[in-house]
Amino acid sequence: MGTVAQLFFDAVSLGGIYAMAALGIALIFGVMNLVNFAHGEYIAFCVFALIVPSTDAVAVMFLGKAPALVLIPALLILGALMAMTSEYVVFRHFRRADPVAMMIASFALGFVIQNGLLAIYGSRPKAISLWPSLNTPIHVAGADVPLLQLIVIIATLLVVSGLALLLKKTRIGLEMRAAAENFTMARMLGVRANVVITGAFALSGALAAAVAMIMVTQTGVADVRMGGSIMLVAFIATVIGGMGSLPGAVAAGFLIGAVSVLLQAFLPLDARPFRDAFLYTLVIVCLLLRPQGLFASPNSKPRV
Amino acid sequence: MAKLGVFDVSVRYGKVPALNDVSLHLNEGERMFISGPNGAGKSSLLRAISGAVATSHGRIEMDGTILTGRPPEAIARQGLSMVPEGREIFGSMTVEENLRVGTGIRRDRSAIESDIAEIYDAFPILGQRRNASAGALSGGQQQMLAIGRALMTNPKLMMVDEPSLGLAPNIVDQVYDTLVALQQERGLTLLIVEQSSARAARVGGRMVLLRGGAIVDQGDAREFAEKDLLKDAYFGGAKTEDA
Repeated sequence: MGTVAQLFFDAVSLGGIYAMAALGIALIFGVMNLVNFAHGEYIAFCVFALIVPSTDAVAVMFLGKAPALVLIPALLILGALMAMTSEYVVFRHFRRADPVAMMIASFALGFVIQNGLLAIYGSRPKAISLWPSLNTPIHVAGADVPLLQLIVIIATLLVVSGLALLLKKTRIGLEMRAAAENFTMARMLGVRANVVITGAFALSGALAAAVAMIMVTQTGVADVRMGGSIMLVAFIATVIGGMGSLPGAVAAGFLIGAVSVLLQAFLPLDARPFRDAFLYTLVIVCLLLRPQGLFASPNSKPRV
Repeated sequence: MAKLGVFDVSVRYGKVPALNDVSLHLNEGERMFISGPNGAGKSSLLRAISGAVATSHGRIEMDGTILTGRPPEAIARQGLSMVPEGREIFGSMTVEENLRVGTGIRRDRSAIESDIAEIYDAFPILGQRRNASAGALSGGQQQMLAIGRALMTNPKLMMVDEPSLGLAPNIVDQVYDTLVALQQERGLTLLIVEQSSARAARVGGRMVLLRGGAIVDQGDAREFAEKDLLKDAYFGGAKTEDA
C-alpha cells in the first residue's frame, strides 16, 4: 500500500511539473503556431533571478530572500514580463513569417538568454536552497512524501483549474480560445491579435516561473542548462497531447510523468539507466499509432 | 457616399494573381451578389475587403474610411462582419460562446443579451443547443450560427460567402429568408457570394460576375437568371460554369 501511494505521489508531482511546462508551450503554439524552444530558458532565467549575480559555486539569495508571499507573485510577474518582452522584441517581427523561421528564432532567443546567464553567473551549477523545509517528508497514506510533492500537486491543480477558469469564464479567455482555434476568423470578429498573443506569452511566462520555483526547490541546483531537459519533455507532451490542445498538454504531461515513474520502479535494475530510452520508444510508438496526438482537439472542420 | 467602395483592387498569392483591378460600389442598405466559377476570385475579394488577405494594388473604403492595409480586427470595428466560406465556426466552443466572440468590440454592453435572444428567436435550434459544442451541429445549423455570430458584432455591412454551399435547398431558402428579414430590420448592407443566378434573382439584388479575377459582367440578378435560362435552353442544361 505504502509503495503504491509513494508511486502515485511521485507520478503526480512529476507529471504536474511536465504538465505546467507543456501548458506554457501549448498556449503559445495555440495562438501563433510557434513552438517556443526558448521556454526552457525562461525557466532557467526565473531560477537565476532568485540569486545574486556572481560566478561563485554557492548562491547568495537575491529575490529568493523575499518571503514566499512576495517572492511567488514577484517571480510569476517576472516570468510573464520576460516572455512578453521576448514576444515584443523577437516574435512580433515574425508574425507573417513561416512557422519554421519563427521556431528557429525561438532557438536563437534561447541561446541568447542562456549565454546571457552564462556570462553573468558562470557555467558551474550552483547549490541553491529555496524553502529547504519543504523537503522534509511527511507521512501520508503509508508513504513518506516530501511536503513539496504535495505542494506541487496542489499547485498544479490550482494552476490548471485557474487557467481553465480563466479560459472558460473571462473575455480574454474566450478570445484566446477562439484565436487558438482559428486566428484569422477570430480577428475578423474583432479579436485583437496583439492582446491575445501578449496574453498567451504572459501566461506562458508565469507558468515557466512556477515550474522554476518547483524545480529549484526540488533539486536545489541552479544550472544554466537546466531548461533543456524539461523543455524536451514538455515539447513531447504537447506533441503527444495534440499540438495546441491545452487539455491534451496537461493530460500528456501527467502521462509522461506517470510512465517515467513506473518505468523507474518496475524496469529490471540493469535496464534502469536506460529508462529514458524506453520512455521515448513509447513516445515513438504513440506517435506512430496516433500522429495527430492522443487528445487532438475535436474536429472543427465544417460539415458539408 | 457609397457604403463600400472597392477601387482597382488586386490580390496575388505569391506570384499567382487572384484578383485583377476589381472595382465595385455598394450603397447603404443594398444587396449585391457575386457570382462566378471556382477560382474566379470571389472569396479572395471578400477576404481582401475584410483584411484577411493583403491587397497588392488598389484601395478599399467603407463610409469614406480607408480599410486597405488595416488589420481585420480594425475593419471589424469599422462595422464590417463576415460569414466566411465553409462557416469557420469555432467547433470546440459552445454555440453561445461562438456568438459572444464578436461582442468584444461593442460599446452597447447592455444590448448584447437581447441581441443573443433575438438570434435564438430567428434560429430556435441555436437556442435549444446553446450549450452544445458547435462542432456537433449540422451543416445548416453551423451556417445559421456563422450568420448569428457575424450579426453579434452589430455590423453595418455583412459579407456572406456561399451560404448555399452544401445545404439542402429548403435550408438555403430559410437562410435567405432570414438574411433578407434581418437586412430590412437593421438596414444592413449585404454582399453575398452566390453561384446560382436563379437563386439570386428570387432573392433580388444586383449581381456581379467574376471570372479569372476580373469583373466580366454586372447588372440586375434577374437579367443574369434569364441569360442562364437561355444558355440552358441552348446547351441542354449542361453545367456551363465556365461558359
